[in-house]
Amino acid sequence: MSKKNDQPISRKKFMQELRRYERGSVTRRHFLGVTGLGVATAVMGAAVPGLLPRKSWAATDIGDRVILATWPNYHDPANFEKFTEMTGAHVQVNVFGSNEEMLAKLQAGGSGWDVFVPTNYTITTYVGEDLIEPLELSKINNFEASAFDPRFSDAGTVNGTVYAVPKNWGTTGYVVNTKHTGGKQLTTWKEFWDITKTDFTGRTMVHDYQLTTIGNALKYFGYSFNSVDPNELADAEKLLIEVKPHLYAINSDYQPPLRNGDAWMSMCWTGDGKQLNTDMPEMQYVLGKEGGEIWSDYYAVPKSAPHRDAGYALIDFLLDPAVNAKEVLAHGYPVADSRTNELLPKELLEDPILYPAQELLDALEFGAAATLTDPNRAELLARFKSA
Amino acid sequence: MLSADTDAVVSFRNVTKRYGDVTAAAHLDLDVTAGEFLSFLGPSGCGKTTSLRMIAGFDQPSEGEVFLEGQRVNGVPAYRRPVNMVFQHYALFPHLNIEENVAYGLKQRAPKPPSKEIEMRVGEMLELVQLSGFNKRRIWEMSGGQQQRVALARALINKPKVLLLDEPLAALDRKLRREMQIELQNLQRNVGITFVLVTHDQEEALSMSDRVCIMREGKIVQIGSPLDLYDRPINRYVADFVGKSNFFDGAIDRIDTTAVNVKLDCGLMIKANTGPDLESFESGDPVCISVRPEQVILARKEEQLPADCGVKIKARVMNRIFLGEHTEYLLRDEKLGEFLVLSPRQNERSERPFDKDEVVLAAWSRDTALVLSSE
Amino acid sequence: MYGSWANRLLLVPATVWLLVMLVLPLLVVIIFSFGERGTAGGYVPAFTLEQYANLSARFTAFKNTLLLAPTGTFLCLLVAYPLAYFLAVKVHPKWKTLLLVMIIVPFWTSILIRTYAWIFILGGQGLPKVLGFLGIEGVRLINTPTAVLIGIVYAYLPLMVFPVYVSLEKLDKRLLEAASDLGSSPIEAFRNVTLPLSIPGVATGCMLVFILLMGEFLIPALLGGGKVFFIGNALVDLFLQSRNWAYGSAVAATLVIIMLVTVSIYMKLVVRNQQ
Ligand SMILES: Nc1ncnc2c1ncn2[C@@H]1O[C@H](COP(=O)(O)OP(=O)(O)OP(=O)(O)O)[C@@H](O)[C@H]1O
Ligand SMILES: [Mg+2]
Repeated sequence: MSKKNDQPISRKKFMQELRRYERGSVTRRHFLGVTGLGVATAVMGAAVPGLLPRKSWAATDIGDRVILATWPNYHDPANFEKFTEMTGAHVQVNVFGSNEEMLAKLQAGGSGWDVFVPTNYTITTYVGEDLIEPLELSKINNFEASAFDPRFSDAGTVNGTVYAVPKNWGTTGYVVNTKHTGGKQLTTWKEFWDITKTDFTGRTMVHDYQLTTIGNALKYFGYSFNSVDPNELADAEKLLIEVKPHLYAINSDYQPPLRNGDAWMSMCWTGDGKQLNTDMPEMQYVLGKEGGEIWSDYYAVPKSAPHRDAGYALIDFLLDPAVNAKEVLAHGYPVADSRTNELLPKELLEDPILYPAQELLDALEFGAAATLTDPNRAELLARFKSA
Repeated sequence: MLSADTDAVVSFRNVTKRYGDVTAAAHLDLDVTAGEFLSFLGPSGCGKTTSLRMIAGFDQPSEGEVFLEGQRVNGVPAYRRPVNMVFQHYALFPHLNIEENVAYGLKQRAPKPPSKEIEMRVGEMLELVQLSGFNKRRIWEMSGGQQQRVALARALINKPKVLLLDEPLAALDRKLRREMQIELQNLQRNVGITFVLVTHDQEEALSMSDRVCIMREGKIVQIGSPLDLYDRPINRYVADFVGKSNFFDGAIDRIDTTAVNVKLDCGLMIKANTGPDLESFESGDPVCISVRPEQVILARKEEQLPADCGVKIKARVMNRIFLGEHTEYLLRDEKLGEFLVLSPRQNERSERPFDKDEVVLAAWSRDTALVLSSE
Repeated sequence: MYGSWANRLLLVPATVWLLVMLVLPLLVVIIFSFGERGTAGGYVPAFTLEQYANLSARFTAFKNTLLLAPTGTFLCLLVAYPLAYFLAVKVHPKWKTLLLVMIIVPFWTSILIRTYAWIFILGGQGLPKVLGFLGIEGVRLINTPTAVLIGIVYAYLPLMVFPVYVSLEKLDKRLLEAASDLGSSPIEAFRNVTLPLSIPGVATGCMLVFILLMGEFLIPALLGGGKVFFIGNALVDLFLQSRNWAYGSAVAATLVIIMLVTVSIYMKLVVRNQQ
């Protein structure tokens, strides 16, 4: 007999439903926010804690809730349940589609978030715009700077002050269904774009995200992923406009069409590549030899956080190596925390999708703040989409 | 196979119309002569509209046959029949102006007449219904009477073989109705088109029509000229429906060579010698005596009454209503009960009118009292 | 005098509502449209016409919208009219309510979920597969302008059906008998009477659908695979992605102006035809 059977809808049930919904139809970034689904799920999430009777023993001084803005499929719901059990604070999840959108929401003010998950290249912008606060590391005992690979934790520190602590990292490559390549292995971005114009016409997807779509088009010419050079961008634009009629979609929600066979190839993030490859071994995750993006996501606290203490408690909880290991098993992205890695199965640590070969990694670039906020790149994407 | 009277514009042969369990019209036989003005008269729900709609073609008979000018038209839809209708609430097209409403029928002709001709005919029609100059008006800018005329013009422009009118005047006030009645009659004579009118207003039917068809519960009871119906109703229902009458119930006592003797329920014995089917009566048949109020003569003294009175009764004046050239009295006799008398003023001129509570002599001639089967 | 004061007082809620809901946001948009974008996005106060001067950068989006909104409206009407006619004229009154409710019921679920259903139907495993079984191979529906139009017709159908239904429902059936009596076959009666008398409903429906379509972004995003780009999508990107609020406001203000102009021309035409 469940102790929670007096509730209208149990948290567990709700999270299962939510997760099933997300897994089936929606992946990381962009798409959710644009469609408003992110907001819809946030509202649903917000409704649930109100339905739960508050347990007297859980009434600690951090309050009864904490609001987390993050990406879809990015956490283990069981961890949130455990957090609630331990502290009495329910985790309300707001899922977002893009960094731009998170930034737009914080810029507009009144986001109501306590914790959010920005990507490396956005942090200086948040600091510059005075939107996030320096972290009180004394409240995050589980953050042990020495345990983290500096490559994936540096971006959290701006001018010597720690504003964000690392969550996990990943790469942006592409996934290709090798059934349709005649067994040929693809290895470069050049091949990605060329095959799209020929054998894969109508079967390729690119992100609805200027950073990656333009960045990977730049790679075709061997330019930097972060280029804002007008001539180089003009080349990339020419390529994109030429390729557009051959695209299946410009959409960051690429898992469903790849799974049902409508699309054969798509720009792809590590976790999605892992998930697809696990279910369909013919799905190959490729990092272009020319390079591309490597990135790292962080936890940060907005200046306006209404439940600040609870926010810190949540970050601290999620950085607990045991908890973090469970997170990794759920989302499929690598973490930079050696303590957590010790707890993970060996196969996972040797997985070429999560941990690509060194020479491939070496070619990758971190996105730059200027790349994200460059108005020319934004306009380029608009021209591409409306062409 | 039944055939139609070739002179008739419209003929019904044993026409029956059923709506599910309801029989709206039963075994109708009827011939409408070319050029006549015929009315369907009867109480609500007796099947008048149904009959009209079967002529128009909106409804098809369940049984029997309908003929238009000798042609069997069962199954022919309304838009292929050379008849037109004036609807009870006119059904004018609100999106068209007066001119366009009137021209509608002409424009539906194949081939369509040249616009010059349409314009001319519309002008003629509007003149006919005295609406010249209203061409561009909208429907809602017209009074009820004017709308009525537009509906008439619209229906007449195609020169139909028969013009059907379903209670066309019901929505008008009393005075306007009188005027329109006269106008309709004149119009009918002018255009020479056969009119079939539906009404439940007996005065309207009697004043306008050449013939009236009295209906009851889906059946035709009697067809005849207004005079026929008034003077020679075939039964009590018609006598009651057409004009006012006093009815006294009784049974045939004895039929002799000069008169029928009726023994009334009250015990009185009354002689009468007219009626639609006197020969068919036998002793003991239930009948009623119908006496029109204007056929009763009132007097104070015996010698003032005509010599041939079949019936003389002493009765008390219960009520008196002046109606201009007539006075209506309500009298009461102990045995007969109450009855109405309509007395012309000139008869009373010699003496003063009868007063309330005065006991007077009432009499009628045996020729004027009708013996009717009391169904 | 007393009365006029009371009357004015009664106008207050409506005026406030209008101010807060309509005038104020529009004012903000107009003010923003003369501003500049901050380096990290957002809005920096200024007075410049630069944003308007740059409008041509969204020319294609405007063009797509001005092409697809009327086309969508027209297709919606093509589907809605027979449906409304059937409901209003042909269906037995006792079934009417049920059928009307059946048209509304799907609209109780989120447009997003319904559009996801269309993603499946129009996707490779849906309709094209069925057509494949029937021997028609290689049909691509999802992520095409056709898919967007199908989605639009589906989503906006009730908005069109209801006004048309109402105008057909209140049509006096005796007018059709009158037309028939005057020599119109059923088809002619429809053309001469039913159709002109349902024009107000058609006009209302078209107006509603057209206005909403001008701002549509969800259906092109979901069923057009991001390749069909309406002005609504341009606005979403400008506000949520590149955070160019000033330029976004200029585009939005232009959209409002285009809408006002189109709608007032349209109203003039409809009103004139009604005369
Ligand atoms: N479409 C129909 N369906 C079912 N019953 C009908 C229909 N039309 C008429 N009836 C029935 O047929 C009978 C005759 O109707 P009809 O309309 O002919 O009467 P009416 O003499 O014109 O009466 P009123 O003076 O009230 O107009 C009525 O009992 C009516 O209820
Ligand atoms: Mg009637």
